[in-house]
Amino acid sequence: MAITASQPMGLRRWRSSRDAIWQFLPVLLLAALWQAVSMSGLIDPDFLPGLDRILAALWEMARDGELAFNLFVTIYRSFAGLAIGTVLGVLIGLAMATSRAADGFFGPLVATTYSLPKSTLVPLFILWFGVGDITPIVTVVLACLLPVIVGTYHGIKAVPPILIWSAQAMGTPRRLILWRIKLPAALMPILTGIRIALGFSFVLTISSEMIATRVGIGKLIFMDGENGAYAYMFAGLLAVVLIAYLSDRGMVRLMRYLLRWQDSAELTADA
Amino acid sequence: MTHVRVNGLAKSYRAGDDIVPALIDVDLEVREGEFVSVVGPSGCGKSTLLYILGGFLHTDGGVAEVGGRVITGPGIDRGIVFQEYALFPWLTVVQNICYGLEMTGIREPERSQRAAAFIRMIGLQGFEHRFPRELSGGMKQRVAIARTLAYDPSILLLDEPFGALDSQTRETMQDELLRIWLETRKTVIMITHDVNEAVYLSQRVYVMSRRPGRIVEEFPVALDRSLSREDVMLSSEFNALRNRVWLSVRRQAAPAN
Repeated sequence: MAITASQPMGLRRWRSSRDAIWQFLPVLLLAALWQAVSMSGLIDPDFLPGLDRILAALWEMARDGELAFNLFVTIYRSFAGLAIGTVLGVLIGLAMATSRAADGFFGPLVATTYSLPKSTLVPLFILWFGVGDITPIVTVVLACLLPVIVGTYHGIKAVPPILIWSAQAMGTPRRLILWRIKLPAALMPILTGIRIALGFSFVLTISSEMIATRVGIGKLIFMDGENGAYAYMFAGLLAVVLIAYLSDRGMVRLMRYLLRWQDSAELTADA
Repeated sequence: MTHVRVNGLAKSYRAGDDIVPALIDVDLEVREGEFVSVVGPSGCGKSTLLYILGGFLHTDGGVAEVGGRVITGPGIDRGIVFQEYALFPWLTVVQNICYGLEMTGIREPERSQRAAAFIRMIGLQGFEHRFPRELSGGMKQRVAIARTLAYDPSILLLDEPFGALDSQTRETMQDELLRIWLETRKTVIMITHDVNEAVYLSQRVYVMSRRPGRIVEEFPVALDRSLSREDVMLSSEFNALRNRVWLSVRRQAAPAN
């Protein structure tokens, strides 16, 4: 009757701290390489400032509140776009998976816009929506739509019919099959689509901020680059990388929790 | 009293441009409280027959009735247990059992009480809050049977319920099923390819032909249910009947020269 052989806590903790070191080793190596190149003068240190100067710039931006304000704006735009894109994406994916008409309508749209870089639309959106929050948010929504639509569509299509039959045999009315059976069964591909969209949301916010807004970390990076304040530019980049990484880790944790019923092999492979 | 009646049933599948007949002219009748098995070579369409009785597939001809009414779709009068368990993997053991109770309108606190009683019946106390992935095959199938029994359908449709289990677990589960049937006297229709299982559990065994399936023979089983498993399976009555059913299935399985 042995079910799961749980490891002793100490061993598991040792394993995870060892894994953490391995996980950060490439980052540390990259940082060391960066510093070495900068100090050697192979590339002009004004264009490739050392980590000491970048961190000093980061500290300065953090102290005068510039960093927090611009990051907040960027995170707000990313998450607003992600949230809207996710809701729309799930709805369109569901419609496509359950209705032939919706599939016929959205299918070609999805297929033709799939490989289009959404950032190319930014100049157009500036004309329509002007400079401000709307342009980056709309860009992010568009970018987030596709992975969520695709995840939802394939997830719903792949729900084993036997689960639906079981539910019907137990008296589940048609209108509840979606909420009680299809959505939970398709949760893994839907969440995977949202995770991909999360990555897109930062990329698209930053790149549209560079040309379409007055504030935001993307604008800051762009301005510092233009002005030759490269230590500040890299400090802004570092902050974005950190935020994007942390939110992805957060997403993985959320997925682990929501999918704790799924075979763990599928989850660890994904994370 | 007749509980399930199938008359002249036909069903075919579309495979590309071809239409492949799966069932032709199937007749059978099951009385209320009777335990009937359908055995046949693999691919003979016996599961298709069960899915039609479950209301998941439509017929192409003939009638399938439950309690004198033509089957038009799934219903809570017919509980089904699949070989692959078909538990909801995102629900725990107790949530899986409560699901059907909720859908059939059983309110709290009765819902939880009934679920607890069925968890005791299948001996899974302490596993209430486990997810299906944490259970062995035998435990999953016990949960699948319990969740179906819990909302009290009058007919049990079993689709090779023990086919995925190792032989020791299978025997234990067969005895549990027999005990449950003797207690509840539900109408049971079981699909299986295991002749021993069919003869050991049933009151009547139907043998189906190769595809396209139809009923070719019917064997009444009159075994003394008060005897132990060993006494039944070692008895000459059991073995004589088992051999006759086995030969009948074998004739269907081997293509005629």
